[in-house]
Amino acid sequence: MPFLEKFYTTILFLLEGLGVTVSVTVIALAVGFVLGVLMAVLRVYGSRPLAALAAAYSVIVRAVPVVVTIFILYFVIASIINLTPFLAGALALGFASGAYQSEIFRGALQSVAPGQMTAARAIGMSRVQAIRHIILPQAVRLALPGWGNEATLVLKDSTLVFAVGVPEMLRRAQYVSSRTLEPFLAFGTAALLYLVLTMLTTFVLSRVEQRYRLLT
Amino acid sequence: MAEALPADIPLPDLSAPPLVRIEGVQKSFGATHVLKGINLSVYRRQVVVLVGPSGTGKSTLLRCINLLSPPDSGCIWLEEQEITAPGVNQDKVRQRIGMVFQDFNLFTHLTALENVTIGMTKVLGIKKPEAREKSMWELERVGLADRASHYPAQLSGGQKQRVAIARALGMDPHVMLFDEPTSALDPELTGEVLEVMQNLAFEGDTMIVVSHEMQFAREVADKIVFMEGGYVVEEGDPDEMFTNARTDRTREFLNKIADFGETKNKK
Amino acid sequence: MDQFLLFLQRVLPLLWQGTLITLQLASVSLLLGMALGLPLGVLRVYGPAWVRRIVGFYVLVFQGTPLLVQLFIIYYGLPQFGVTFDRFAAAYIALGLHSAAYQAEYLRGALQSVSEGQMVAARAIGMSRVQAIVNIILPQAFRLVLPAWSNEVVSMIKYTAVVYLIAVPDLMGQAKNLSSKFFQPIPIYLTAAFFYLVLVGITYFLLRALERRLAVPGLTMEQEG
Repeated sequence: MPFLEKFYTTILFLLEGLGVTVSVTVIALAVGFVLGVLMAVLRVYGSRPLAALAAAYSVIVRAVPVVVTIFILYFVIASIINLTPFLAGALALGFASGAYQSEIFRGALQSVAPGQMTAARAIGMSRVQAIRHIILPQAVRLALPGWGNEATLVLKDSTLVFAVGVPEMLRRAQYVSSRTLEPFLAFGTAALLYLVLTMLTTFVLSRVEQRYRLLT
Repeated sequence: MAEALPADIPLPDLSAPPLVRIEGVQKSFGATHVLKGINLSVYRRQVVVLVGPSGTGKSTLLRCINLLSPPDSGCIWLEEQEITAPGVNQDKVRQRIGMVFQDFNLFTHLTALENVTIGMTKVLGIKKPEAREKSMWELERVGLADRASHYPAQLSGGQKQRVAIARALGMDPHVMLFDEPTSALDPELTGEVLEVMQNLAFEGDTMIVVSHEMQFAREVADKIVFMEGGYVVEEGDPDEMFTNARTDRTREFLNKIADFGETKNKK
Repeated sequence: MDQFLLFLQRVLPLLWQGTLITLQLASVSLLLGMALGLPLGVLRVYGPAWVRRIVGFYVLVFQGTPLLVQLFIIYYGLPQFGVTFDRFAAAYIALGLHSAAYQAEYLRGALQSVSEGQMVAARAIGMSRVQAIVNIILPQAFRLVLPAWSNEVVSMIKYTAVVYLIAVPDLMGQAKNLSSKFFQPIPIYLTAAFFYLVLVGITYFLLRALERRLAVPGLTMEQEG
């Protein structure tokens, strides 16, 4: 079979895993976003025990390899409810990403000018209202550059759910490689697709960042 | 400042060929024509102060002289060697020219002493102990021997600039260039730097100074050069320039800056 | 309780062996990454335009693709062209090349944040460009890059965990083997996680101490000299 034809079949086969890779990434990022924002707010504005809890989550999860976290959570989730490997893997990846995102949002929260809270309270907002309507909208924008970086990291880490049997792109590449006995072509094509994906993600997010940049 | 002038102030050696000779130097940055043909001679032991409105190419001229930004056309001779000629080793030329910058540019990761030593050891190949000894002496000269082990961040602006002067002196330069050495300093710190510079002048160093310190220019300079719009408009003896400038532009400028200096001192 | 102790007795020594391999993987790969990343970082800033572009492309490719894919290309893909590595060599190369891209990028950032006046001042006392880079710019960049480099060390310890997928018996690999042997994945992975936590914790504090020791007043990334 000529090279181009082989490349074409390989890429088509891998692209069928693209949906899985993208879904895992998006779910993990969303879960991580909710967890990350929550933990960051607790760390900055929470009571002391809650702040300590949030800090412990961030420090511990960030000290452990993502793949180890995925395995632990995968088995923990499996012992509680019956989820597909896909969902369990995505949730576990999201739990790991939450720790990294909490650091990004914490930094952003702390860099919102202190006068903003004072001003919000002065017009009669409660603390929670001030956080929700004044501080967080600014913090999320300030967090965008770091968040964009985290998005590409999660995209790359989505290959790790391969280990718990999720049929994402790398898994499919392995399958092609064992069938065609052309591992370089299979994994090389996978690398190319991931490169396009990360570049696309970076490009789109930098556009978003420019669009929503805070002018001070 | 200059109350007790030493009896034997070294006079410029006007009989020998000039130490620095600049002929027809032009320099552009992109579309901006900064220097439009400069002619200037600086003699041994002469202190030349370049004055003029900002943006007239005074700093650029200094950077042309030590080839940090070589001229586009025209020639510069240093001790009768044409340093703008092709094939000249520019690093070697710069070793003979000391330069002091407006914003000090001390090496951040080195102590005051190490700032002075590094050029001696790495460029001149002087052995470390000898270089340290000589550096201490240079620091002594600018009155900062007690700050030898301080990092730049631990020094005041005036002290930084004096270390920068010591660093330049350590290379035994044949001519010193000062690029607005006091403009980045708080007014109360300019005195200590000007005093060091005045002492160098008394010791007979050849100096080319870009400065807005008119009092310094008047008391220390052997020659004032008024530059504007990329040209040398007028040059001459300080007393003559200040009291009896030939062109209206020079008079206007010197009057304006003298007024400004007075209000500044009165505050 | 006895059963638990027995369990620990059988698990801990193997996890410890794995930890040693993890440490070895991390340190060798870091050094490889440094040996390559350092010149790459310098060339990325001071090299001729075409070299800068090549280094930029290298960084783009190695930062833009998953480490696991890089590992598979090197371990499974290259033998297709007769280039064969054993598991450890493949792990070192993949981790080293990957880390080099990141280290080069961190160094680039540090080099570019050394203020321009430093180069001008170095040239003004007669240093050549190379002398200025070696004596003035690089020593400052090294101190500036230290925090990022510390992060890279910690990341590296964690990155090594993926090499179990090519059957290297590192900490993660041992955990994986043990969990399929004892059918007790959760306690075993938790123990492994604890090992990583301690490893990373100790490394973190050692590096912080090193940073403090090498600190120079006024030389930080936020502020220019």
